[in-house]
Amino acid sequence: MHRLGSLIVKSGLRNRRRSALTIASTAASLCLLGILMAMYGALFYGGDETPAQALRLITHHKVGLADAMPVSYRDKIRSLAGVRDAMVWQWFGGTYKDARDQRNFFARFAVEPDRFFRIRPEIVISGDAKRAFENGRTACIATEKLARKFGWKTGERITLVGDIFPVTLELTLAGTYTDPENSEALFFSQDYLRESLPVGNSQRDQAGAFQVQAMSAADVVKVAREIDAAFDNSPAPTKTESERAFQLSFVSFLGNLKLFLAAVSGAIAFTLLLVSGNTISMSVRERVGEVGILKTLGFTPGMILGMILGESAVISGIGGGMGVALAAVICVGLRQGAGGFANLQTMAVTPAVAALAMGTAVLIGLVSSVGPAVSASRTSILESLRYTG
Amino acid sequence: MSEAVIETTKLTKEFIRDEFHVVALKDADLTVNRGDFVALMGPSGSGKSTLLHLIAAMDRPSSGEIRVLGQDLRALTDRAIAHWRNAHIGFIFQSFNLLPVLSALENVELPLKLTNLKGAERMEHAATALKLVGLGDRLGHYPRQLSGGQEQRVAIARAIVTDPDLILADEPTGNLDAASATDVLTMLARLNKEFGKTIVMVTHDPHAASFATRVRHLEKGLLLPEGQAPEEWNAAAAHPGSEG
Repeated sequence: MHRLGSLIVKSGLRNRRRSALTIASTAASLCLLGILMAMYGALFYGGDETPAQALRLITHHKVGLADAMPVSYRDKIRSLAGVRDAMVWQWFGGTYKDARDQRNFFARFAVEPDRFFRIRPEIVISGDAKRAFENGRTACIATEKLARKFGWKTGERITLVGDIFPVTLELTLAGTYTDPENSEALFFSQDYLRESLPVGNSQRDQAGAFQVQAMSAADVVKVAREIDAAFDNSPAPTKTESERAFQLSFVSFLGNLKLFLAAVSGAIAFTLLLVSGNTISMSVRERVGEVGILKTLGFTPGMILGMILGESAVISGIGGGMGVALAAVICVGLRQGAGGFANLQTMAVTPAVAALAMGTAVLIGLVSSVGPAVSASRTSILESLRYTG
Repeated sequence: MSEAVIETTKLTKEFIRDEFHVVALKDADLTVNRGDFVALMGPSGSGKSTLLHLIAAMDRPSSGEIRVLGQDLRALTDRAIAHWRNAHIGFIFQSFNLLPVLSALENVELPLKLTNLKGAERMEHAATALKLVGLGDRLGHYPRQLSGGQEQRVAIARAIVTDPDLILADEPTGNLDAASATDVLTMLARLNKEFGKTIVMVTHDPHAASFATRVRHLEKGLLLPEGQAPEEWNAAAAHPGSEG
């Protein structure tokens, strides 16, 4: 069959306008499909888990993230076997400048600076900035991308007006850092938040979540079970999960996203199948006579079948390749604009996504041409030669 | 004794078309020996093309026997017939039937793609065949860039490129002007005389038939005995070139 490669390509691309339009429609559909697949992969599988991430767990209230736990849990967690360290991991929320402008939204967490870099060793920061963050009561650090976005310089005063917490924080930027997991986030001291809250406010002694570092990746499951068991009968029972699982739980807030993405992908694939099937049918119908000629020359029905399937696969493959390449470019742009939605920051057309999208394109091409190909291969020579279209 | 290339005995082809039972060919007994150039003549619907298609194994007989090059065609599967046809038969159509997306050279190379020849060998054979039909300077031309006579010569080159034992031609001059038709017929006669090719040609044109060494007439599905022709054909033969 490889000897027929040039004939397959020439036949497949014989009608340039139709071929171009078919390839363009395949490319557009596959581009969309590639983006959805990349989104699906990023949301539900993320990028590769770093060694540090594999050790981290998040402990939060069993009921949900809106419920807080006593801050004293932290010390009890630290004392459990298999736990190397733990710190408060408090979502602050609040408003920076104008809440109506979506560009002002970014992740803001109150943490414990003296433990922060041990538990998150992948963070890259200068020694001066690190020391300033650990020692300054109102100090904060931000990702380089975030600082660049707002034009912040070291020493910049950043005001956050609380909504969950009835406080206004006046922070000072101690420096910037890079974090492969997060491109837009700001961290400040939990102590400063606590001190800023009015005496008697119950939030002073509570925490929304704890970030826990296990001794080893093998301990993670056991540690999670032991933490939850430790608070099982308390007024604030906990749920501990790996950092990856915790991130995925945010995706569930969006509803049944898996079903939605699968449904849209299915609709795209089905539409493409119909368009492709129609085009291939037209193309084969126009060439019934040629099929008769080829058979007269000695081409077997199997060869005819293979040639028509091959033509379809060539067109789908070219369209699929262009679509995947376009999706890869668009994903770069979407990744840049993912903001604080950490899951989407790993969104990319990986080799697996590219292979899956290309496989889908070729499969659609093959499935859509099976009918016309089988029909052409079965048509007798005389019927084919008599066919006038 | 001459070697029989084609032997048919009581060869019959019937079919149903629009509820009508049609006998396209009835009890045809034909023997064609190696080196013969046989013209099958007859009006439309006489069964001449049906006989040619049965010889080429493009159709299956309803009854009777047919052996071509010693092979009982009824015993072969579709796949085996395709291989057999590629190896032993060269077919020339009335309407040339070249693939428009391929150049003259590529069209002629097409049957060789089914052989074990390597690419360079295939191209060499195809170029030789085109030179033989006088188109050595048109190798890269596409069918749309050729005249009708040139297209038919490419089709002849395609038919002979595998060096087949038998060349079958279905009204090869039907779509050509008189000059081109004579060129093509001269070429077929040359293939028969100089290269010893056995040729069976269907035609309704007495002038075309005059290039053959034997003529067999068909009428209403019956193959007439050798030397026998309907009156009107005898009359037409007296004025060659008056048709087609």
